[in-house]
Amino acid sequence: MNKITIGIADMKMAKKEGTLITYALGSCIGICLYDPVIHLGALVHIMLPINMETNRTSPLKYADTGIRLTLTRMEQMGALRTRIVAKIAGGAKMFEVATGSLGNIGQRNIESVHQVLQREHIRLLREDVGGNAARTLSFDVATGEAYIQAYGKQVTKL
Amino acid sequence: MVLRKYEEINSMQIDALREIGSIGTGNAATALSALLGCEVRIPLPEVQILEFNAAVEKLGGFETVSAGIISSLSGEINGLMLALLQLDAVNLFLGRMMGKSISDYSEMGELEGSAVIEVGNILISSFINALSGLSGVRISPSVPQISIDMQGAIITVPMAAYGSQSDYIMLIGGSFIVEGKQVPCRLLLAPDMRSLNYLLHRLGIDHE
Repeated sequence: MNKITIGIADMKMAKKEGTLITYALGSCIGICLYDPVIHLGALVHIMLPINMETNRTSPLKYADTGIRLTLTRMEQMGALRTRIVAKIAGGAKMFEVATGSLGNIGQRNIESVHQVLQREHIRLLREDVGGNAARTLSFDVATGEAYIQAYGKQVTKL
Repeated sequence: MVLRKYEEINSMQIDALREIGSIGTGNAATALSALLGCEVRIPLPEVQILEFNAAVEKLGGFETVSAGIISSLSGEINGLMLALLQLDAVNLFLGRMMGKSISDYSEMGELEGSAVIEVGNILISSFINALSGLSGVRISPSVPQISIDMQGAIITVPMAAYGSQSDYIMLIGGSFIVEGKQVPCRLLLAPDMRSLNYLLHRLGIDHE
């Protein structure tokens, strides 16, 4: 099967066939966006909640600009906004105590993704978020089904 | 010249950081030798500034399971420091300290976890002491914490903490040599940009 890997702060799309996969989501979130009518799927891997860069060189690093840019690209490929649905995974807390100045980045990412999806009127079908384990997320664009593999666990359907 | 991003750092500054890294890992080797009761050598480490995805690939890929020991830095410097130990390194230390080895991280109990944290702690504090001693900058590392999981998720912790300032991270890579066996030793340093500039200034290398 055609496997397409998405890195950190990255997004890729596939139509009708192929599996989009992003590895080891920790506090980052993988967002699967799907138009079931034309079988167009996109997977975006964001790292931070809100884009506050002045020159905005890496929009895909952030939940807000990442999701909006992906939706625009999907529309250019023929997707209709009203048909697009979402599944998300990630937002874990890898270390117990807050690391860095941002506190719990995972939780802030989850909240930001929820908010952006709501503002863009995208229905969130399923999610597997929070906790403290890394997740690998794969997304089959033929069916719109997504799967989660956490370290030491069985693959589960999202 | 004030740096806005990690990737603007020049080769002379990298050399200075490598020198600090070398003194730090030298101190770490001495401390580890005492802990393990045998000779530990850490040859000259390399310092690289790598883009996020390239850094994870360089360290052996996203899904490789590793033990990450992290400490947050405060004082005159704010940042995070992460020591990454893969299974062969963990076994090398557990073998010497406890006379056992594990084939999988799931076999690691509380005692083994504490031993691995201690190794990470020595690596981090040795590097920080060298950095602090050479620059005269006061840096206090926090009590370290451990996470054992897919390393892609662990490495993104320091990246995300300062990710709004850069798409790059500083990797200090070397090897431990213990009784002829060589295992990788990886440290990731993520100071915020203000701290990095202050540090370079105090080291007297903030000009081209």
